[in-house]
Amino acid sequence: MLVIKNQRLRNTIRVAVPFLVIPAVTILGSIAFDRKKHIIISLAVAALSLLLFAAGFEKKSTGTRRMVIIAVMTALCFAGRFIPFLKPISALTIISGMYLGGEAGFLVGALSAILSNFYFGQGPWTAFQMLAWGLIGFFAGLFSEPLRKHRPLLILYGAAAGVAYSMIMDIWTVLWYAEGFRTDLYIAALGTALPYTASYVVSNVLFLSLLAGPFGEKLGRIKIKYGV
Amino acid sequence: MRHFSELNPLAVTVYFFCVTGIAMFSSYPLLMIAALLGGVIFFIVRNGSSHARSHIFFLLLFIILALANPLMSHNGVTVLFVMNDNPVTLEATLYGLNSAAMIVGVLYWFRSFTQIMTSEKLLYITGALSPKLSLVLSMALRYVPLFSKQSKKIKDSQTATGLFSDDNIIDDIRGRMRIFSILITWALENGITTADSMAARGYGVGRRTQLRRFHFRRGDVLLLIVSLTLTGITAVALSLGKLSWNFYPAIEHSSPDILGICGISAYSALVLLPVIIETEVSLKWKYLLSRI
Repeated sequence: MLVIKNQRLRNTIRVAVPFLVIPAVTILGSIAFDRKKHIIISLAVAALSLLLFAAGFEKKSTGTRRMVIIAVMTALCFAGRFIPFLKPISALTIISGMYLGGEAGFLVGALSAILSNFYFGQGPWTAFQMLAWGLIGFFAGLFSEPLRKHRPLLILYGAAAGVAYSMIMDIWTVLWYAEGFRTDLYIAALGTALPYTASYVVSNVLFLSLLAGPFGEKLGRIKIKYGV
Repeated sequence: MRHFSELNPLAVTVYFFCVTGIAMFSSYPLLMIAALLGGVIFFIVRNGSSHARSHIFFLLLFIILALANPLMSHNGVTVLFVMNDNPVTLEATLYGLNSAAMIVGVLYWFRSFTQIMTSEKLLYITGALSPKLSLVLSMALRYVPLFSKQSKKIKDSQTATGLFSDDNIIDDIRGRMRIFSILITWALENGITTADSMAARGYGVGRRTQLRRFHFRRGDVLLLIVSLTLTGITAVALSLGKLSWNFYPAIEHSSPDILGICGISAYSALVLLPVIIETEVSLKWKYLLSRI
């Protein structure tokens, strides 16, 4: 195994990556390839931010129970991707973020993306999917207070997350196809993705309104019963 | 003497990222053709004549992607014909073909990659990166079949107690929701029990061991060195502008000198590397069998 054992080296990496490497990659990338192949730069940034998150998670002393619950939610997301037309994965990610915190939400989203892609096909898009779903979960954790209290707000967040996911993935489609970002292609991609966007929004709204209440009760019960 | 898929996952991953990285990075048509052909040949060598539907899907995708650009983009100086008052240019057509070759080629490579990188190997790689994440992943993987088994058990017991009916749709949905709800409660409690059991057996005390060991043997080191060297040659040729190709406004490209030719042949060798390994292995087996 290649675990970095040196504590100092690990700390250096943790400071260097967000403050030096990611900005450097972005700036150098855009200077060196001016407007060409933005896809490589965005891929590198996505991969680096995922690595950074992994490093942060590794450092923290997360309880075993918490980790197991994250694994349970990830498995449910994975299983949910097999439902035709409806995709409960974002809804479950939002629920995890809302009740277990932003970090758990990020992990559930990102891990279910990489896991389920072993069945649905890995590709360069995996990094973007991981980041998109992870961020949906992370922001759900960030705004967990208002989201938990106001049901309409949660539904609205779910719908917005569906649209945002589709828009993020279309940016990547355009970047991959053309050199640099092109607005006409982006609008065309958004247009062709419209049925998918609609399915994301519908399934987010549907699953959030069906599952948010019961899931909250169950997770709350587990928290009280076992003191997670 | 191992098949390509049996080599160390780390070396195989590096190889795949080298191949697809160069394909996505450059826009030199010969490299795109090499990536596409290499991807298709490797996929066919691995799978034979099966997966006909995948091939048809990729062919359709190639056609759509190749046509999308000339219909959408009207850059370029050589007008082929005018359709609906919009000029269709030679440059945009070639650009579409080039992009389509790149995308379909990378898709083929990733299809093979997904076949080779089983979940066990994923755990090996993430384990190197972060043992904790790898544990969460491996547990999630194990939970998927467990949950489907458990949900069948719940369904059977619900049917036995007369609570599940599927003759009308509302009852059906309510029955399914009930099963799902029971499954979640069970899964969470079961997870806590698992966690406690893990803690009791000393999880987190020492380093985690793995069920299957992947050693770094001579073949793996060789694959790593060869793929990095070949990628390096191509990358140098690319970064020195020996393999540049601009489509707009008019096609303009650097005439390949020695270094450019070296880059192209290095990349061609790179994409054929797994096929060479597979052929060598099967030839060796054939030879050994005939001696027995």
